[in-house]
Amino acid sequence: MLELLGQGLATIVQWKYLLPLFLGTLVGVVGGSLPGVTITMTVIVVLPFTYGFDPLAGLAAMTGVYVGGSTGGLVACCLLGIPGSPSSIATTFDGFPMARNGEPGRAIWLGVWASVWGGLLAALFLVFLTGPLAAIALEFGPWEYFSLFVLAMAMVAGLTEASLVKGLIATGLGLLITVIGTDPIGGVPRFTFGSAFVGGGFPFLPVLIGVFAFAQIMTDLEKLTGPAGQAQPSLAGVKFERFSHLKVNWEIFAQPFLLLWSTIVGLIIGILPAIGGSASSVLAYDQAKKFSKTPERFGKGHPEGIIASEASNNANVSGSLMTIMAFGIPGDAVTAVMLGAMTIHGIQSGPLFISQNPGIAYGIYAAYILAHPCMLLICVALMPLMLRITKVRMAVLAPIVLVLCVIGAYALNNTMQSVYVLFIFGVVGYALVKLGFPLAPLILGLILGDQIELNLVRAIMTDSDPLLFVTRPISAALLAAAVLSVLAAVWQHLRQRGRVPAEEEPDF
Amino acid sequence: MSLGRDGLAGLVILGISLALLVQAFQLPKLPIVPVGPGFYPSIVLGFLAAMSALLVLQDLARGRERAAAAAPQPRRNYRLVVAAFAIVAGYVVVLPLLGFRLATASFVVTLQAAIETPRTVRGWATLAAIAAGTTAATYLAFERYLLVLLPRGTWTGF
Repeated sequence: MLELLGQGLATIVQWKYLLPLFLGTLVGVVGGSLPGVTITMTVIVVLPFTYGFDPLAGLAAMTGVYVGGSTGGLVACCLLGIPGSPSSIATTFDGFPMARNGEPGRAIWLGVWASVWGGLLAALFLVFLTGPLAAIALEFGPWEYFSLFVLAMAMVAGLTEASLVKGLIATGLGLLITVIGTDPIGGVPRFTFGSAFVGGGFPFLPVLIGVFAFAQIMTDLEKLTGPAGQAQPSLAGVKFERFSHLKVNWEIFAQPFLLLWSTIVGLIIGILPAIGGSASSVLAYDQAKKFSKTPERFGKGHPEGIIASEASNNANVSGSLMTIMAFGIPGDAVTAVMLGAMTIHGIQSGPLFISQNPGIAYGIYAAYILAHPCMLLICVALMPLMLRITKVRMAVLAPIVLVLCVIGAYALNNTMQSVYVLFIFGVVGYALVKLGFPLAPLILGLILGDQIELNLVRAIMTDSDPLLFVTRPISAALLAAAVLSVLAAVWQHLRQRGRVPAEEEPDF
Repeated sequence: MSLGRDGLAGLVILGISLALLVQAFQLPKLPIVPVGPGFYPSIVLGFLAAMSALLVLQDLARGRERAAAAAPQPRRNYRLVVAAFAIVAGYVVVLPLLGFRLATASFVVTLQAAIETPRTVRGWATLAAIAAGTTAATYLAFERYLLVLLPRGTWTGF
């Protein structure tokens, strides 16, 4: 294993791979530091550039975006008091107060270093646990796969904050999109109404780009109700105080349990399907506060809050990569885009991925590891520029992002059809967000729909006894976990009933 | 009893699910496969219909609570959203007619101006420079470097 990792590292340090990785990390850091631009959006913007690359170079660039974006968000957190990306949300709670107390440099660099160490610690889990997880998945038959996918969807629908029913409907809509077009078993056209446009079904990536990018950009645009202004006093452009990197690192390593536990929390949340980095950041922050000797200092510029949040959101990246490589299930929207990119290059993710593509698998591990020093280097070199980047206006950003989305859809197969699909699902995505439907379950349904159908039909073709889904132990356990997940969500929602809802924030 | 936003959304999805469910039952059976092409879509659509019916019922049950707990929502600029969608729709339509370069430059200018109309000559110049820069950079990166053949205009040949 270590030999393969060594080969992966030796491959990635070649210019052919290192340059895309470095540029991806750079774009990730910049995208992450722009308030309102999520990592998903950044990876969507980078996607069309990767079509022409070697598969590993493209995946290295996307891994760089993911790692860079997870860290870049903390700049806006500390200086503007708003998260640059949702995965940094809990960094705002202590990063901004610390910066306002005259220590913006300490706040930002505590976050950057915690990201580096949390991410590298999580790399150990990524390298040593993905293989065993995939080995477990190899024992699965179609019954277990079907049940695993059902569990994934039940968890995602159940964890949506808006409404369990809406989460389940969004999942159903995602599944519905996948049944439109030609039946995968017998080639019979389904719900095409004789139209050639939908005859081949809707291509996955234009749907995903349309749903996510439009929903986010339009939601940002609707908030522009007057002259640009900021709700909170911004510290962008402020000069850093004198501080020591050594001291910042000492602060982190003086609390090894905090770093380790935050990393594990991020990793676990990352492994769970389609739960974003924001959940890991908030959960790790909450855990840090519960275990802290000084919980009363949280929210007032406490370093523990920044360390927990940032170590956790970078470890989350590692967890998401584990899920996609071991099970073929995206850990979140970013890995959903990566899954789409793999499909374009003819690579099938899942339990056989590592054994069939060891070069690419260990290349991804290596890219993940090397993205951290790249990110550190970028932060050291470009920090003064990043302080300005947080001020880029939506009027400049929105058209550029939309042009790249259109190119991303068009370049898939050089036809306008994908662009039309992009636009149609852009409208659908925005409408769903405005109606309070979460997008994560829809995307998971969209990704897993074909696999669910194939495994269901395979199971029935192998043995027509439907009871096998509940009599085979692993399948039964997975289905029981799915039921428990929905019941827990119902219980949670019943507990929260009667509370006055805050302004609804879309779930990207 | 009145329906709110959720109820109406539920009704629309319920209607679509039921209409497609009827179609799913009419799909032909295949002799070699024990389940036909309509088997799985029927499960999905049945599930979707049940959930959307539940959403409608939930909304009806919440009718009074909804009226009492309606919290004031912040102002939203929906006019800009409609304008942005219209501009993107226009871009998608003219892209194969004008070609990538002309359509993209026009799109970037129009959308920027719709979001934040420049008030000075310098503002307009910046806007035009961003449009030209975006078009040139994307064209060179994709068409020249990544060898993606971007759309040519059927009207302009450009």
